[in-house]
Amino acid sequence: MRGRLPALGSLAVVAVVLAVLPFVLSDYNTYLAAEVGIFFVAVLGLNILTGYTGQISIGHGAFMAIGGYTTAVMSRDHHTNLIVTMLLAFAFCFVVGLLFGLPALRLSGAYLALATFALAISVPLLTDQWSTYLGGTSGVQSSETKSNLWIYGAAWTASAVLFLLAWLILRGRVGRAFRAVRDSEIAATASGVEIGIYKTLAFGISAAFCGVAGALYVMASNGFAQPDEFSVLLSLQLLIGAAVAGLGSLWGVLAGAAFVGLLPNISTSVPVVGNDHGRDVVYGLLVILVMLVLPGGFAGLLARVRSLVRT
Amino acid sequence: MSINRKQLGALLCVVVVGIAVASTAGAARQGTPGVADHSITIGGTFPFSGPASLYATIAYAEQAYYGYINKTQGGVHGRKIIDITMDDGYNPSTTVTDVKKLVEKDNVFAIVGSLGTAPGLATWGYLNKHQVPQALLATGDAYWGTCIYQAKIPQCNGAKPWTIGWQPDYPAEARQYAKYILSHQSKPKIGVLYQSDDYGKNYLAGLMAGLGSHKKDVIAEQKYTSGSDPAGIQAHILKLKQAGVNTVVIFATPAYAIAALATEGGLHWSPLTMLNNVSANRLFMLAAESKGAMPAGVVSSTYIESQTTQPNLPGMQLAKAIIDSTHNNDLITDFNNGDNNIVYGFASAATAVDALKRAGANPTRASFMHALRSLNETGSNSNPFVYPGMTVKTSATHGFPMQQLKLEKWNGNTHDWKSFGSVINSGH
Repeated sequence: MRGRLPALGSLAVVAVVLAVLPFVLSDYNTYLAAEVGIFFVAVLGLNILTGYTGQISIGHGAFMAIGGYTTAVMSRDHHTNLIVTMLLAFAFCFVVGLLFGLPALRLSGAYLALATFALAISVPLLTDQWSTYLGGTSGVQSSETKSNLWIYGAAWTASAVLFLLAWLILRGRVGRAFRAVRDSEIAATASGVEIGIYKTLAFGISAAFCGVAGALYVMASNGFAQPDEFSVLLSLQLLIGAAVAGLGSLWGVLAGAAFVGLLPNISTSVPVVGNDHGRDVVYGLLVILVMLVLPGGFAGLLARVRSLVRT
Repeated sequence: MSINRKQLGALLCVVVVGIAVASTAGAARQGTPGVADHSITIGGTFPFSGPASLYATIAYAEQAYYGYINKTQGGVHGRKIIDITMDDGYNPSTTVTDVKKLVEKDNVFAIVGSLGTAPGLATWGYLNKHQVPQALLATGDAYWGTCIYQAKIPQCNGAKPWTIGWQPDYPAEARQYAKYILSHQSKPKIGVLYQSDDYGKNYLAGLMAGLGSHKKDVIAEQKYTSGSDPAGIQAHILKLKQAGVNTVVIFATPAYAIAALATEGGLHWSPLTMLNNVSANRLFMLAAESKGAMPAGVVSSTYIESQTTQPNLPGMQLAKAIIDSTHNNDLITDFNNGDNNIVYGFASAATAVDALKRAGANPTRASFMHALRSLNETGSNSNPFVYPGMTVKTSATHGFPMQQLKLEKWNGNTHDWKSFGSVINSGH
């Protein structure tokens, strides 16, 4: 138990800071902090898949799209409470993730990455195919829009709940099985781990997390869901977030989420490159830099610092 | 429960940064946002990167025009115009973040000239709720003009009195092509190539409405998906040819329009071809020619002056002087080669300046909106960059500033457009 106390300490610190932030920040910065919360949920979800079972996905933006459209369509057509739509997005994406996980079983490494890439490209196009329901390029407008503060609260409450859920899943049998699959599929099978079940399950869980993130993402976009919001770039952003986060650290996921959530906004105001292309240039350079300096992500850095302090 | 020193440090950092940011953001908020003694700040979002980035010259032209007004007239009512542009990469959710920053952090007076339909739709709810003008949107959808009066149609989602567009709308443009076809083809057999989204469908609906009882003469429709490989257009054009059409109508974005024209050229096929004006930029036509297109006789439309065919008009001479003074070589080259997006930017910025002037010496967001809803750029007050004889006009019951078009035909010898006929009212 003694080893877990600092972790609880970190949690408490994060919780206190998050509770205080909206009183300190301006309305606009509260909105940015909410965006970080949204990416926290998504990166957390992707981390379960890539970090714990070693399956790479460049298509999780597609699950965000599915979650986001679930929220927008339910709100538009049935005036469903937005919180309820988040739960629906979770459930729906869990099922879709499981279904996608089945064919993904036969693929691994780069091939799986390619399959998920196809997902990222094709899912936004479905909105054109079923434009009667999904609005085509005109998008879907939810029936209600929320304040920055509301979105902040929703995003970070969802983060807390899902963080707890992830912790409960990963600490026991399931988490052990996930790690066994990642480290050696043969050894895992020999130890009686049903690889198929756990790989599929990891897909379902991470998809469900991204579904909730997508629902929040649409709420933060003034309740407007539109295919261009969920381009391949979004999926890549999530992957960057997961890489910056590294494995198995709350602080890592926070750093990854802050990186993808804040950097595009901050890098526009860098004076040298200017507004026009600043976002791309600064963003790209920083991603390269972080990967060079922190190959194990932020979590790897923390581990290194800890081992330095101990020795 | 222990908090170690490192964590405490992190906590303190976050709180200090938070307080610092909050205190700077809260400062200096009095009177009308964005209006100071010697400056007025407006903002806009544009695709400087991403799939639509070839429209970026619109923003450069607008900034050049505001710079010119600041230099020669000291701005408007003694206030220099500051235009903050942001790159949304044509992604609506980035537009939302950008617009929130412009409104809540930069305290802009108004959002002016922002580009794109989906980015506009993503932000108009927010801007109308906060009563911030969403002025002169650079897109041709009909929403921007109809939704103050017909708030009950589903696309409007409630009245949008703080939103207004500028250019002639797509369905109205398509109706003019229908008229032209009916008066120039005795037995039209029409094939349509359109983008499979609302952009393409709005055009198609306008064409059908214009054809009326001749709708049945549309014997083939081919749609393509935005974002697909333009090489796929070849198959679509072949199918139109096999269907035996004698008239091809292209409602496409530039890359696909170029591929379509090049395919016709490659097949040595020259049906009567109508091209939507968004893709009729001279730069794109030259690109099509270099890929084997023979677009002589292609018909399109325009509503602004041309720097290549009308260089002696006062508006074009002014435009050239302003462009040359930017010393931006890319911009100067594009302008000289006939990138009409630059002229578009000038014309739209001129309307913005006109409205800022008429919003009064102590402008408010409401007085600016009122000025935009009572535009009257005619006679001595006409917009120097719109096609000669056209007006930019709105009223309390009419929300479309530009409602006129001039047809034009591509001349294979001069490699440029040549306008013909009279100015047409495409109006609502």
